[in-house]
Amino acid sequence: MSERKWLLSAFLPGAGQFLGGRRYRGGAILLLWLILVVIVAAYGQPIWWISPILIWLWNIWDAFHLQRLGREASLFLPLLAGLSVLYGIGWQITQIDLRSADMRRALQIVRPMLRPDFVQPRRELNQMWVEILVPCKENPPRAFNKLDGKTAMATPDCARVGEVVIVSVQGLWPNTDTQIWWQTPIGDPKMLGPNESQMLILPTDDNGALSATIRVPTTALVAAPDPSLALPHRVYFDQYRNVGGWELSFNGREVLKGAGVTIAMALMATVLASLFAIPISFLAARNLMGGHPVTFAIYFAVRTFLNVLRSIESLILALIFVVIVGLGPFAGVLALALHSIAALGKLYADVLESIDPGPIEAIRATGANWAQVVRYAVIPQIISPFVAFTIYRWDINVRSATIIGLVGGGGIGYLLVELIRINDMRGVSAVFITIAVIVIALDVLSARIRERLV
Amino acid sequence: MLRVEHLTKIYPNGTVALKDVSFEVPDGEFLVVIGLSGSGKSTLLRCINRLIEPTEGKIYWNDVDITAASPAQLRQIRRQIGMIFQQFNLVRRSKVITNVLAGRLGYVNPWLSLLGIWPAEERRRALAALERVGIADKAYERADALSGGQQQRVGIARALMQEPRLILADEPVASLDPVLAHSILQYLEELNKEGVTVICSLHFLDLVHRYATRVIALKQGVKVFEGKPQEIDRQRFKEIYGEEAQEVRAASL
Ligand SMILES: Nc1ncnc2c1ncn2[C@@H]1O[C@H](COP(=O)(O)OP(=O)(O)O)[C@@H](O)[C@H]1O
Ligand SMILES: [Mg+2]
Repeated sequence: MSERKWLLSAFLPGAGQFLGGRRYRGGAILLLWLILVVIVAAYGQPIWWISPILIWLWNIWDAFHLQRLGREASLFLPLLAGLSVLYGIGWQITQIDLRSADMRRALQIVRPMLRPDFVQPRRELNQMWVEILVPCKENPPRAFNKLDGKTAMATPDCARVGEVVIVSVQGLWPNTDTQIWWQTPIGDPKMLGPNESQMLILPTDDNGALSATIRVPTTALVAAPDPSLALPHRVYFDQYRNVGGWELSFNGREVLKGAGVTIAMALMATVLASLFAIPISFLAARNLMGGHPVTFAIYFAVRTFLNVLRSIESLILALIFVVIVGLGPFAGVLALALHSIAALGKLYADVLESIDPGPIEAIRATGANWAQVVRYAVIPQIISPFVAFTIYRWDINVRSATIIGLVGGGGIGYLLVELIRINDMRGVSAVFITIAVIVIALDVLSARIRERLV
Repeated sequence: MLRVEHLTKIYPNGTVALKDVSFEVPDGEFLVVIGLSGSGKSTLLRCINRLIEPTEGKIYWNDVDITAASPAQLRQIRRQIGMIFQQFNLVRRSKVITNVLAGRLGYVNPWLSLLGIWPAEERRRALAALERVGIADKAYERADALSGGQQQRVGIARALMQEPRLILADEPVASLDPVLAHSILQYLEELNKEGVTVICSLHFLDLVHRYATRVIALKQGVKVFEGKPQEIDRQRFKEIYGEEAQEVRAASL
């Protein structure tokens, strides 16, 4: 019987090892094997059972080895089997699904991104309009307009929502596509193409004239305070043509504006933060505060506070400030500033702790007063590293400001979210490029400045 | 005339750096303080201008009690006492001329000095001081661009700006090689000949013999010798320095 002890492991994993004197090994094998079985039962698919079965077989082999040959079997196989199960769980809970990585959808997004919407050909607008009363009233004014040699008219002179109107225009550029659209008295644009969801576009003839049949948009009176009141609506005729050269597109302007806001946010936050961080850093410098138990307690409290504050991501702070002060750059500035106070406070304090006390005693020895000692012995030692760290922080804050924009903190990040929401991938691409350019440029710039300061 | 009476310094951690030290320094003397590293030389020099507060004892400077001076009085006293350090203690990132001008801080209008505004007269004085120590051409370089010997000359120029009546020099040449050591000490000797009292701590016996008019020796904070430099022969030196004497002499050759 005793020669066959290893066989017990076939009934209960680890039993053979346990009875063979290797109690810990036996216990560990049983425990880990049971855990594995539970995991596979809870999460696994049928094929996963291979793993506990393999380990079970290995365990018999191990027990046999121990008893007959006196040495342990290699751990390679059970480790591999166990790790594959763990990897399988990871795969499952991170919802990796290779089928969703769809090439066609990826291309739909990537292709427009290859043409970032930043500039457009410079265009000139040729516009004409005519006013028409909706709904009708007695003796409506004639729907006729004459302007700069162009004439436009509509018949009838007034109409109700959904009624047909014939509009015509003369004196525009010949043979040019013309966008025809509706504007309500409060300035809302309405489209006149199919389903009122597309722009109605028609070309002018050789003489620069066109006429079209339109329907008064069903939504023309939606926002009107009193739908029965007859008010003049307008039909616009817009023509565009290239005049050579390029200009910023609408998105291009928005991107630049957003970038400006983001950089300014970072700048405001950094300056604000350093104003607070400078006095705080003196309280957090051990060499200045270590002399007395009370000052040391202050030092310790300030350091701890800075460490805790620094560990809160500015993104989290931004979420909080968005709730407090509302969406927009101000929330971002506050979040960045608070985080930067902690970061800069620590960096400044480290600078203060590393200053050379020699010049301080030398200046004191000349009969200088306290302020003169600070001015001539302390400030010259700290100014360069302070400036260098502040620029470095500004650099970091520009990146953070971009991310903070995503959660409503304003600037280019917020623009990015909006563009993604309306699926304007060309705009998104312009944002990406701009962010990359800013980050790289600032990185190089701040490195240069810091190099010169050190 | 400087009079030190029963001076004792005990650091907050309990170290007794000076124990009941008394001596007098008549005007115009070149007093050298010797003693092993840790014997209290730096502490003694710093107690004289109260960079370190003495624990007990009195220090009189022309019958004014330095140890009892108010902060304003103390600044008045300090500005007449130039100090030179082993590590030069220049503001390394500042220009040489700024370091030298700083020696004048006890005299000029404090508000203007805080704004960094210096009268043309003071600038001329600073350039003259640099001229005197032979490095006027370095005036507008950063202090850390200078060699050790040049930095110590800037230190002397800074002390000169104070128009000092007394100069405290704490191992002014310990960081310099022997040739430079002489060139630096010669400036102090020159000043001494002009009537400035000098108190200087030194390590090397040959330098003591060459420059001192009188010597005091400290050992573990206690004054163990006071007398003429000629009285210190090898035997005495060995008593003061103990086992290290041989090494020190070797280094001084
Ligand atoms: N700030 C201090 N706190 C505690 N002990 C000190 C301090 N400065 C010096 N000491 C001690 O006082 C003694 C004398 O030091 P010091 O005056 O620097 O001697 P020396 O200049 O002769 O080398 C030494 O034992 C030193 O360790
Ligand atoms: Mg010393």
